[in-house]
Amino acid sequence: MSALSRLSPADKRITLAEATALVQPSQTLALGGNMLYRRPVAFVRELLRHPQPPTGLTLLCFTAGYESDLLVGAGCISQTRTCYFGLEAFGLAPMFTAAASAGQLRVIEETEASLAFGIRARLAGVGFMPSTAWLGTDLLALRPDVQTIRDPYSGEALVAFPALSCDVAVIHALVADRRGNARLNKNLGIDPELAGIAATVIVTAEEIVDRLASDVDLPGPLVTAVAPAPRGAWPTSAYPLYPVGGGELLRYVEACANGNFAGYLAGVLGEDAGSA
Amino acid sequence: MILQAQPAADHTLDELIAVCIARQVEDGDVLVQGLATPLVAAGYILAQRTHAPNAFFASAIGQGMVQDWAPLGLARAEELWSGKALTHASFVTLACDALHMLTPKEFFRPAQVDSTGNFNNIAIGEDYARPRLRLPGTGGIPDVTVYSLGVYLYVPRHSRAIFVPRLDWRSGLGHTSERRAGAGPRVLVSNLGVFDWAEGTMRLVTAHPGVTAERVQAKTGFPLAVAPDLRETPPPTAEEVRLLREEIDPLGVRRLETLAGTARRDHLRDILRREGVLD
Repeated sequence: MSALSRLSPADKRITLAEATALVQPSQTLALGGNMLYRRPVAFVRELLRHPQPPTGLTLLCFTAGYESDLLVGAGCISQTRTCYFGLEAFGLAPMFTAAASAGQLRVIEETEASLAFGIRARLAGVGFMPSTAWLGTDLLALRPDVQTIRDPYSGEALVAFPALSCDVAVIHALVADRRGNARLNKNLGIDPELAGIAATVIVTAEEIVDRLASDVDLPGPLVTAVAPAPRGAWPTSAYPLYPVGGGELLRYVEACANGNFAGYLAGVLGEDAGSA
Repeated sequence: MILQAQPAADHTLDELIAVCIARQVEDGDVLVQGLATPLVAAGYILAQRTHAPNAFFASAIGQGMVQDWAPLGLARAEELWSGKALTHASFVTLACDALHMLTPKEFFRPAQVDSTGNFNNIAIGEDYARPRLRLPGTGGIPDVTVYSLGVYLYVPRHSRAIFVPRLDWRSGLGHTSERRAGAGPRVLVSNLGVFDWAEGTMRLVTAHPGVTAERVQAKTGFPLAVAPDLRETPPPTAEEVRLLREEIDPLGVRRLETLAGTARRDHLRDILRREGVLD
């Protein structure tokens, strides 16, 4: 039975292990944060400690990075929806780049506009949002499911970006409270809206306190469960608590360049096992 | 009295590119800082520190509006883009609303570009399902290049692999008849010269010191137009080089865009060591 059954609006705390058990095969999993910043790394590593991690997942991220590359390398992801999958100054995301170039991964081409308007459509309770984005580019040919419509006022062609949703969204917070209120600080990515389009919203937090009273980015009613994850974004940052763990990202990129993703993953999964 | 700015005793190509980017900035501009483009950040801050003191930055990191500056870094980039933000929003608001409101300038780095300024950041190779190289993705390129008047390009390592007669995929819109609004790229800065599209096709306007038009053509995979009054790119001034080296980017983050292979990896390691995040 899922850990959710014991949760109440007054207390949404669960363990990280319980939280990862909420992800089922073939679901759409959204990961919060942006680039190398405030990514739910501890959640991903805990998910990969399962004897049989879920497969066939659709990954939804505004931008995908280290946390997502671990899932691709472990074989959990069958398709991606993101406008950027890479490691910024650390270069290409090695496992994504290899899998997508080899045709082992389906890339559903997304851009800032298709993601943002798709989210807005879902939040507004409509099937699409119109935009001028993509007109004249090859994106429409690469996404034949995306339709164009005629503006009923001007008669001009517009792109109708379909509403987006996901099964589970995981968002890492600086601090959260028992009722699910969470503080993300300024580098929000799309996290406030992501919490609005997910059936299940898991917040992992550096710290869980009794009560937050101000400066909350995710109000409790949007959040399904909160799980403690101290240093849970590392080696991505949790500004202003800790910077990007550059040496660790370099170690990852070099391990993958040497064909040793499996060894790297076994190392990091063993390293912090038991600390969660 | 107009003082003649003193040219720098020496400069590197990354410094020249950053200076050429800065020269495209006008005072009061809103400048979008994209993903992993430190040469552009260096150029923007240089412009703000010299001729454009009222330039604002809109950053993909932190999704904020920033009017102050800080030295470039890797591990603590948020101290500038979030820590100094006047205001901030979610990326949904930035992408749907703010970019339309602010009419910013933005420099993009194409993986392939053709003579009309159409460009590709999707994949290299014609087989979409199994490309030679899948690229990270297009960010907001297919969104803003269809309407913006402020699109600029830069290429840190000019080659025939990038300047191609035909794109594999078109994600950025150039000077093409399919366009309904906006304009193609206004200027392209590379490590060989500065280019425009004044005649609808890519044209060499200034060649960097020591570079001939013939060499630029040899490194370009399509016939290049050349401005009738082709000149040498004015070199950086002593003050521009000093600002870049001593104040804006003492760690040399900008050089990550011009270096490759082992040299780049060693430089990255050195930056991280100096930032105290290598272990």
